[in-house]
Amino acid sequence: MKRWQYESAPDLDQSLVERLRHFPRQPDMLVYGLRSVAAVIIRAWLRCYHRLEIIGRDHLPAEGSFVMVANHSSHLDTLCLLAALPLAKLHRAFPAAAADYFFKSVHRTFVATVIVNALPFARQVNIRQSLSLCQTLLENSGNILIVFPEGTRSESGQIEKFRPGVGALVANRNVAVLPCYLDGAFRALPKGSIWPRPRKVRLIIGAPRNYASIVNSRDPANAVAVELQETVRSLGQRYGAN
Amino acid sequence: MSPQIALHDPIFLSFCSVVAISLIAGGFVLGFLRLGLKKNIVAMWKTYCSWLIMAPLGLVVVLAGRVPVIVGVTLLAIFGFKEFARASGVYRDWWMTGAVYAGILTVGIASIIPHPRGEEPGTGWYGFFVAVPVFAIALILIIPILRNRARGEVQRMSLSIVGFIYIGWMFGHLGFFANATNAYGYLCFIIFATELNDIAAFTFGRMFGRHPLRSEISPKKTWEGAFGALAVSMVLPWLLRFSLPDFGPRELILAGLIVGIGGQLGDLSISVIKRDIGTKDMGAVIPGHGGILDRIDSLIFVAPLFMHMAGYYHPLK
Repeated sequence: MKRWQYESAPDLDQSLVERLRHFPRQPDMLVYGLRSVAAVIIRAWLRCYHRLEIIGRDHLPAEGSFVMVANHSSHLDTLCLLAALPLAKLHRAFPAAAADYFFKSVHRTFVATVIVNALPFARQVNIRQSLSLCQTLLENSGNILIVFPEGTRSESGQIEKFRPGVGALVANRNVAVLPCYLDGAFRALPKGSIWPRPRKVRLIIGAPRNYASIVNSRDPANAVAVELQETVRSLGQRYGAN
Repeated sequence: MSPQIALHDPIFLSFCSVVAISLIAGGFVLGFLRLGLKKNIVAMWKTYCSWLIMAPLGLVVVLAGRVPVIVGVTLLAIFGFKEFARASGVYRDWWMTGAVYAGILTVGIASIIPHPRGEEPGTGWYGFFVAVPVFAIALILIIPILRNRARGEVQRMSLSIVGFIYIGWMFGHLGFFANATNAYGYLCFIIFATELNDIAAFTFGRMFGRHPLRSEISPKKTWEGAFGALAVSMVLPWLLRFSLPDFGPRELILAGLIVGIGGQLGDLSISVIKRDIGTKDMGAVIPGHGGILDRIDSLIFVAPLFMHMAGYYHPLK
């Protein structure tokens, strides 16, 4: 009789926290189940407590990879963007999260990986490495990347400057880029506060854009970042956000 | 079982002292090895520190009551099977993994609910509990039929069935003890005696080990360790006789044999799987012990054998 071939998990010798910090993570049925249950609860919470309204959901591509680019002023932002996606795509959506903030302590790592399915993004060192991680992710059709190009939560609620990295990520790449504007999340849960206030939150999803024809070098990439920033800002203005 | 009853139960309270004394004694032995004999005990110290957390945690769960014990055993079985699935590669097949999880949950539910027509005394539906494998295996067997797939399915079905029977069902017997009349005595005795048997095997093996027990399966285990552990396990039921008040000499001897031999067999049976897969530990969850499965493996044979032995001589519940 021939020997069976076992395909052990490649991260067998790592402890639980190491496994969660590692990316890409191995698919895990229990984690997927927990994440789905959490997503249903979070969506219900956003709908009831924050009266979340999603405008332009029909702009979400039905298939293929895409990038959601949004302004960032609150921890609620990621949850709202995830809530806009169909549940079936939840486990293929990866919000890029600051590795130095979300992947340091054990409980934040746990929340970031199990609930949010975050991709650890090193924003201080090895940005290039993190960007290439995002790019390989997008090569797999069907993956969704969520990025906040401001690099951190805005402390004033106003849109800050988009970092050029987002331009380098999407320039010369045939993926749909969805500009998104989040309104109200800052009032509901600004940086530094712990418990969310019952303020209305709106998510406006803009028409998809494509930067496949842009050369991926410094100046064009910067221009893409500036253009995306303006698009997100104008989305907010068009829908009367304050 | 409930916190109020536990706090007035002489058997449970005695076991709290037994565990505390054992942990303190273990600490003294390690301290003597380190300071008196200048031995390197880094690995053993790690193992010991994990015990300092696991032993009180176990006692707290037993204190909390019947349902917490069954839920705890079910969770251990689920995460134990997850380690097995990750090591053997079955975890990639979500249908099979899901079927085994469903089976493990059914074992837990059968341990909690009473007989629907009240034909059995007390809680726990024994008749269904012992029949769960029929349903779980049937579910595993029909999955390839539902999915219209044959290639490689025998391997997946076999691994899933082995995983369910070993970890879900045989280990799951531990949870059913929570329904027994002498729940505190049985639960505390089995867990304490089995873990002590493990430690005795390790200690005797380290001190006198010469002849490998099963060289092809687990190169570090020795005949000396196995006999030393068996000797300890044969004496232990007499020392802890207060926890098994119904047991006569015949049952006490059988209890010693079941713990002494069953504990080693459980360990070796998981080693066979690890050896064939080619991994040293099933996981790295518990520092100094390896995975959950590496810790609970000795109970795989002890729990069901002890339950049926006890149930043969005395009504279980």
